[in-house]
Amino acid sequence: MAPLIEARDLTKKYGAHVALDHANLKVEAGRIVGLIGPNGAGKTSALRAILGLTNYEGHLTVLGREPFRDRTELMNECCFIADVAVLPSWLRVDQAIDFVAAVHPRFRRDRASGFLAKTQITGKRRMRELSKGMKTQVHLALTMAIDAKLLVLDEPTLGLDILARRAFYDALVNDYMDETRTILITTHQVEEVENLLTDIVFIDKGRIVLDTSLEDVATRFIAVAVTADRLEAARAEKPFYERHILGKVVLYFENVDSARLSAFGELHTPSVADLFVAKLSGDAA
Amino acid sequence: MNTDLWLIRREFWENRAIWLIPAVFGGLLTIAALFGRVDIPTLSPGDHSQEASGIFLVAIGGMFYLVMSLYAGWYLLDCLYTDRKDRSILFWKSLPISDAKTVLSKLLVGMVLIPLVYFVAADVTALITAFILSIRARASIGSALWQPGVWGQIQILWMYVIVTTAVWYLPVAGWLLLVSAWAKRAVILWSILPPLVLYLIERVFFGTRVIGHVLSGRLVGLPAVAYKGWKNGGNVNFDGHAPANVWNFIDAGGFFSNVQTWIGVALGILLIVAAIQLRMRRSEI
Repeated sequence: MAPLIEARDLTKKYGAHVALDHANLKVEAGRIVGLIGPNGAGKTSALRAILGLTNYEGHLTVLGREPFRDRTELMNECCFIADVAVLPSWLRVDQAIDFVAAVHPRFRRDRASGFLAKTQITGKRRMRELSKGMKTQVHLALTMAIDAKLLVLDEPTLGLDILARRAFYDALVNDYMDETRTILITTHQVEEVENLLTDIVFIDKGRIVLDTSLEDVATRFIAVAVTADRLEAARAEKPFYERHILGKVVLYFENVDSARLSAFGELHTPSVADLFVAKLSGDAA
Repeated sequence: MNTDLWLIRREFWENRAIWLIPAVFGGLLTIAALFGRVDIPTLSPGDHSQEASGIFLVAIGGMFYLVMSLYAGWYLLDCLYTDRKDRSILFWKSLPISDAKTVLSKLLVGMVLIPLVYFVAADVTALITAFILSIRARASIGSALWQPGVWGQIQILWMYVIVTTAVWYLPVAGWLLLVSAWAKRAVILWSILPPLVLYLIERVFFGTRVIGHVLSGRLVGLPAVAYKGWKNGGNVNFDGHAPANVWNFIDAGGFFSNVQTWIGVALGILLIVAAIQLRMRRSEI
């Protein structure tokens, strides 16, 4: 089966600034992919290109379409939540449902109403009267009622308190995700989404530095906490990053046999956040 | 499922001023008719009654037209800018609606539907104020205001005004939409500044006024092109005894055969296409 998203040499320039620099990316159907990168790394540019919100150079197909040229058709099968604050302040909840129901062929009104019935939100409320958490619930209700193949979330929980964030992700995993759907998500709160991701993509300076499934992370990357006396021997195995904590040194290895490393200390699989820091700092060094 | 209809409904949800301003303006005129000083010369019935009724209706309509022009101009200048400013464009673009449809729906609202709302408001206000005045002024003018023939002709005149205004001002509307789709801030300034700078450059460096003539011809030249009376120095033949006839005044053949009209339409279409292209590329500010 062809990948759901395929980018080859995807490049986006804003004047002299290169936001995406020949980025390559493949996303298969049925995955939950985290697109993770520091500020200004090109995350937003990548999402904008995938959603057809901007033109670009290079090859890009999403659900078999060229996003910029075919945005209208693409949005029949793909939806996105850019950020919780984008529902217009004057819009009433019932108007939002009426409008999306009228213009979106795959919207199921009963699902949106059912989701909202579980909340305190009533139809006559305007977005400006709702808290950020409530607005997220409305947006999520609208989006989850669309029978889409691809859902793109760009910093969906920005500015939300921990309760609202947890509710957001619980609803996403329990009520929405199934094998027919694919989710692409960017966030700063890596720890929060780590448990629900199946794949991670690291982006830095407009380039994809890592694109892997989480199962592969466990076999590919190993972190070893090494005591000082074994440090030189361990360094000979060419770690790509060192981290000093509390008198110990944690060394990060890629594609090194775990049997060779176990002699140096305790092995563990790095967390996504640790791997992210290691990968980006290590490659830069 | 009629997307076009819902796009228009959406504009009326967002811009309640479309009907609030004419309603308030009509209310103010009604208050003026109720409590203002009535100082109208005595007319013997049948004498100048056609003329009096015509002047009364044109005055009411003219006031509404002036307010409508200002509001419609503002609406067109603001409509593509405001959802980029509050980032709600990202919500609208997540729906399967083409940018061309979005821009054209706003053009239709600004150039046809807003004028129609004001037309209805002007008629209603004229009815109410004529009723009030004929009670307050009694025999002096009362019956003069009720001339069914004149009322009927005013409806024709209004329709002609709406059509010619929409066609003649298409390049202005296109320019306002283009600025609205492009500017990062200060839309009013950006709508005025480029033509003004062009005018000044021409004045300073070439000493000519071609641009000034073109601009002023477009902005205030409509009556000269669309009405017969204007060409004879404003000498419209309102004979008090012969029934006034709006057909003597309307110059539809002249308007639609004027080369200026069609140059404007062509330029307007170009500007609107450019606005749509910008709308496809620019999302939030």
